[in-house]
Amino acid sequence: MKIMLMTIIYTTLIMGTLITLISSHWLLMWIGLEMSMLAIIPILMNKSNPRSTQPATKYSLMQPTASMILLLSIILTMMYSGQWSIFYSNNTTISLILTTSLIMKLGLAPFHFWVTEVTQGTSLLTGMVLLTWQKIAPLSILLQNFPTINQPLILASAVLSTLLGGWGGLNQTQLRKILAYSSIAHMGWMMAVLFYNPSISILNLVIYIMLTISTFSILHTNNNLTTLALSHMWSTSPPTIIIILMNLLSLGGLPPLTGFAPKWITIQEMVKNNNITISIIMTMMALLSLYFYMRLTYSTTLTLFPSTNSSKFKWFFHNNKKMIMLAPLITLSTMLLPMTPLLTTLS
Amino acid sequence: MTSILFNIITAFIISFMGIMIYRSHMMSSLLCLEGMMLSMFILGVTIMLNSHYILAFSTPIILLVFAACEAAVGLALLVMISNTYGIDYVQNLNLLQC
Repeated sequence: MKIMLMTIIYTTLIMGTLITLISSHWLLMWIGLEMSMLAIIPILMNKSNPRSTQPATKYSLMQPTASMILLLSIILTMMYSGQWSIFYSNNTTISLILTTSLIMKLGLAPFHFWVTEVTQGTSLLTGMVLLTWQKIAPLSILLQNFPTINQPLILASAVLSTLLGGWGGLNQTQLRKILAYSSIAHMGWMMAVLFYNPSISILNLVIYIMLTISTFSILHTNNNLTTLALSHMWSTSPPTIIIILMNLLSLGGLPPLTGFAPKWITIQEMVKNNNITISIIMTMMALLSLYFYMRLTYSTTLTLFPSTNSSKFKWFFHNNKKMIMLAPLITLSTMLLPMTPLLTTLS
Repeated sequence: MTSILFNIITAFIISFMGIMIYRSHMMSSLLCLEGMMLSMFILGVTIMLNSHYILAFSTPIILLVFAACEAAVGLALLVMISNTYGIDYVQNLNLLQC
């Protein structure tokens, strides 16, 4: 029974996003968003306890509000243009409403408080689904509507996201919260270049998804939830600490690794469009994110964590968790930078 | 049409404000969500009937179906929260902050 139920729920989750991706009809897009939103709530509450009720509640209060606002913009578009397909109008009110609702759905800066709490309340794999798969559908709507999007609003939101994503993660020790804040910061980078060149935004999303999936998979195989658990990993699995070092630095965007490519191309595109101030501010804000990744790598690999002697060798059983595609994903998420000239031909 | 539109948009904005303002009971937030949905339903019905767009006559019903699903999920979560904490105060949902 439970297997059947989970099959139906996961199928709905996947179908919802796919419906949003392939449809050009506004109502179908909205239906796809609603389907994936309704399907993820049982997944968030997979293990039913008081702790898992809270993220589900927060998610189910935040997302329907956002989709209602999206529905308002859809019906107003229908009223003014008389058609259901995507219609590039220059109506400021509708574009403001549309942009606000999608910012709420994606968890960008002024509405980012639910992202960290929902991610913290769930398991690592559910958090991974939440931070990768659930972002695709709203982002595809944004990409299809990019001429209609309100530019000052989305740029302000992008800068605020990079600032708050970097700032919020500074004082965290929980890995899921840190990854949620890094998701907010990366979303900010995607939004900044959206108006100038949407294909760079897609490239940014693909690389972000690869990096997030590989990081979450490594953490899941060793079941690490805190910085402390990460710092004791040298006693259980020494090769993993090198991999996680590379992955975290790649998330931070250091040059010889893949994570540098989207930031590089984004900054280049923004400077090309004469938007130097915002690109400088966002580069500065990326340093904030880099600081907390560096702190993680410092406690993981570069030093011995000051903990009591008995806790260093943790009691562990041989783990049988196997993540599929882990090796290719790690390779892709660390060594793809030489392929950047190939990637730029996409745009 | 204009007065109807004004009326419905006002209803929507009032319900939206109700969600955004911090509330003690979760039930009132859920009711405000329903208010937003129903105002959208009425706006949809009015537009479809005005424009004689027969293919889209089913649209408000679809909206209503999803509204019912959302309300069901919201009520299920409300029951779980009431089971755990004894009351549905939103301020009890503070386990994950830091």
